This record gives sequence, structure tokens and C-alpha cells, in this order.
Amino acid sequence: MSDESKSCSTPSNAEPKATRSTVPMWIFSAMLVLIYLGTVYFDHHSGWFSAKVYSPYGNVDELELYQPKSGAAAQLARGKQVYEQVCGLCHGVDGMGKPGQAPPLAGSEWVMAKGTTRLTHIPLLGVTGTIKVQGKDWNMSMAAMGASLSDSDLASVLTYIRGSWGNKAEAVTADDVKAVRAGIKSPVPMTGEQMMKMPE
Amino acid sequence: MKNGFTVFLASFFVLGSSWTAFVLGSAIQLGHEKQTTVLNGSDAYPVQRAGEATLGLQVYRASGCAACHTEQVQQNGMACDVILTAAGKNAAAVSNLVAKLKLSDLSEEEAAATADKITAAGGKVETRIIATGGDIARGWGIRHSVAADYLYDYPVQLGSLRVGPDLGAIGVRMADVNLQLQHLYAPKSVNAASAMPPFRFLFEVRKVGTVRSPEALNLPKEFAPADGYEVVPKPEARQLVAYLLSLRADVPLYEAPFTPATPKK
Repeated sequence: MSDESKSCSTPSNAEPKATRSTVPMWIFSAMLVLIYLGTVYFDHHSGWFSAKVYSPYGNVDELELYQPKSGAAAQLARGKQVYEQVCGLCHGVDGMGKPGQAPPLAGSEWVMAKGTTRLTHIPLLGVTGTIKVQGKDWNMSMAAMGASLSDSDLASVLTYIRGSWGNKAEAVTADDVKAVRAGIKSPVPMTGEQMMKMPE
Repeated sequence: MKNGFTVFLASFFVLGSSWTAFVLGSAIQLGHEKQTTVLNGSDAYPVQRAGEATLGLQVYRASGCAACHTEQVQQNGMACDVILTAAGKNAAAVSNLVAKLKLSDLSEEEAAATADKITAAGGKVETRIIATGGDIARGWGIRHSVAADYLYDYPVQLGSLRVGPDLGAIGVRMADVNLQLQHLYAPKSVNAASAMPPFRFLFEVRKVGTVRSPEALNLPKEFAPADGYEVVPKPEARQLVAYLLSLRADVPLYEAPFTPATPKK
């Protein structure tokens, strides 16, 4: 400040001079406060640059909190998860099946049957021999992949395959699965003929 | 120039840093967006528009719709509703409890606590997630717009000025093709307070031939042309309407979760 007042008194045609002076402390403090507030704001609103986080969600954890977790949505979500772990390897994540490995579930008349009893037997017992799916013969065996799943998980998977890839059929409840499981006497894979005879 | 190289470096740094932040940063963040599936489902989202609607985007662009309309629904918050789905064995106790509790407009924590209380009493509940905010209250959408909604738009018609309402979900709000066409020809015939200019160049006013065209608009009297004339939409009008009807953004996504009104089976 003292330098500046001196320069005021010099004649106006003199060359102006820049002299050294220290930055006032308050600017430093104000900068620190602003940087602090900025980081707090960043932490609350940036979502750490995740492409999936939009306002009003602050971060991925908050977004996870608000995913629908109950009712039909949750059953489908669980079904999808179990399907991709247990069934998807052979039947395909897209439900289209794999030639020589497993028939398609998308559009399959076995999956979209009116009743759910026969469909529930398939993962509980397994299948052996030839079955016809959408007019095509499939001769291969399936192990009892669903026998180790809980009632509610199996119900979720069946609900998922009945409601995905264009399939539209009613949901399966854990009680349905429980009743079918209780009715099974000998856990032997079904043959194609047995399945044809079994009521839906 | 005395410090030419320094000036060059400084301006390079300034332009480069803004390019990094706004172009490179956004490309890294959102450039890998691809088709996904609807939340908790297997339906692909978004799907490529039909040809007519794809052409309609260019009509939208050429007509300058984005000057007055945005395509971005905003969301300010989210709320949870707890719904009793089954009362269970001691229904009287559960219904007493439910009458005492606050069931709508809850935060996630409050909803979880409420659900726990009712479940402990023997009832079964479902928690619904609802997006809230000014745009949603106006009926302009049911969730905020996300990058996935624009995946097949080129160029993206985000818009920045809202002289007219947001069109992010106009295909849900005004799903009738004939109403859309009538609104383009004579906006005031649909909404008397509308400030939208009529887009008559998308239509042809012509003499009725031997019979009236089945495509001709059915306009109210004060907007109808003279007797013996009819208003027929040009292909551009049909394309524009096909595009408008394709603007929906009504499915839940991972990044925009909500519980759909009717649970899908």
C-alpha cells in the first residue's frame, strides 16, 4: 500500500514500476475455505464421474438404495440373477438356447404353459430323452439343476423365464414350488413321454 | 510480439483444459453408453426408431422445434410409498398399525423402518419408489432423462429454452396421431392458450376431389378451410408425429429407478 501511495505522488509521465509485495493472509484463508467448500460440493454432487449417477442421486450407493427391492420387481431381479448363474450357461442369457446343448426358453410352449406344475418339475427332476420344443426335436439330458435352489429362488427363476424375452405368462409363487417339491416321490429325470403325459 | 511463445502456451493451455473438461471428459464418461435392458427385465432399451420416426427427427431439427422445446425431464428428488399387500393372520392389529403410520412420501430409511414394523406385526408390504420434482408434477415425465434415452438421436435435440413444454415424454402425454397432427396445423384448436406458431407448411390445403381424403384432418369449424377444401398432412408432418410419439422415456432403468405403475408379469 505504501508503494502505491508513493507512486501517486510521482509525475504522471514517469514509467510505472511494479514492486514486490506479499499476498495478504485473508486471500489465502478465503482460498482455503473455497477449496474446502468445493471439495464438499464435489463429494456430494459429482457421483465420482460415474455415467450411471444423475442428480438427485449423489453417488452409486444412494442409487442402489433406491432400486425397487420388493414385490414383483424384486422377484424378477432375483430371478434374473439366479438364471444367469444357473441356467444361462446352456439356455443362453437371451433365452434362445444353444444348438446341441439346450432348447430355447423364449417362445417355448413348455415355459408358457397355463399351469406351472409341469414346468416346475423340469428343474426339480431333470429331463432325459427327446422332447419337442417349437416343433423341433431336442434329444439331450438335463440334470436336476433346480433341486438345490430354495423355493423362493426357483419361483423367481420360473417367473423370470415366464415373463422375459417376449414370454408372457403368470408368475410362479414359492408356495407353488413347495407343493410340487412335496409331491415328488423319487427324484429320477423325466423322459419326454412322461412329460407329455403330465398335466400342465 | 515480445512473449509470443508464452501467449501461445497460455492460450493452448486455456483452450486445451476446457476441451479436456467438456469434450474429452464427457466422452470418457458417457461415450461408452450402449443398449441395455429395462430395470429388472429383459426388454432392450433404448431401441432404434422406425424409419419414419428417424426421418422425423430431421423434420424436428429443420423446423427449429428445439428453439422453444426441451427434451430433458428433470427430477429433484425421490420418495417411497409403502403399500400393504397382505394383512396376514392378525389383520385387525395390522390395520390398526397401518392407520397410525405415515405410508407415503417417505425417505428410503423411513420406508424401510415402516416396512419392518408392519412385517413384524405379520403383514406383507411392498415399497414403491417414485421420482418427484417440478417437471414430474407437471406431468412432463415420470423420471429424469438419462443419456441412454438419446442413444439413437443424431443430433441430440436437448434444447435449452422452455417457451413451450418439455417434450421428453410427449409420446406418452399425447399419444393420439390425429390430435398431434391437428396440434401442428392449428395449436390453438387444441389449447386456446398455446403460444406455438402453426406449422401449416407441413400440410397441404387442397380442393376435395371426388371423395374426401381419409387422411384429411377433422378440424373445428373456426380452424377449418373454406368449404370444398381439405387439409392433408404432407409426409414431413407424418414423420414429425412419428418422431414425437417415439419420445417416451417411461421405463425404469438402473440409473433412473422407479416402480412402474402396473407391475409387469
